[in-house]
Amino acid sequence: MTATVGWLVCGLALLILLIAALGVYRLPDALSRQHAATKAATLSLTLFALGTALLAWDWAWTWRLLVLVTILFATLPLASHALGRAAADAGERERGDDR
Amino acid sequence: MTLLFMLFVVVAGLATVPGLHRLLVGPTLADRVIGLDLLFAIAIVLSLTAALLSQRTVFLDVAMGLAVVGFVATLAWARLIQLRAGGDSE
Repeated sequence: MTATVGWLVCGLALLILLIAALGVYRLPDALSRQHAATKAATLSLTLFALGTALLAWDWAWTWRLLVLVTILFATLPLASHALGRAAADAGERERGDDR
Repeated sequence: MTLLFMLFVVVAGLATVPGLHRLLVGPTLADRVIGLDLLFAIAIVLSLTAALLSQRTVFLDVAMGLAVVGFVATLAWARLIQLRAGGDSE
């Protein structure tokens, strides 16, 4: 039962990772691409960690995955904020935004 | 079972193609760093898959290391972009 749910969650995470990759490829400017890369990838990584925890079903795995998700939640918003602000300072603007 | 893991690896490999495309063609430096970010996320997914496939927890420690290294790398590149743009380096 937990294994089946784990497989499904992992599959969903990979689907979201593909959508994030598609967004990085298709969106028109750096800021939009970063929006795809950061938010969707964070959701995907969290779901994949959850799926891994369900598949392994073992505390030795669960606490490591919890540490991993904590690191991701603490660092990814900071990194994307720094990068987004640097891109904006470098003159990057949203496409169709003629300031 | 192993076949499903192979499917995971293939799907994650598919996701590297747009990431590599962004890393190689840009057009701006920020775009390249975004591609690198996506590649780090894929690397974390792949190392979790490696942990499941080999049933060893060491690959989870690898994933933590990758997360931290990706963070520091993105911060360093962001600072470089900002300094190049003539902004303050805060």
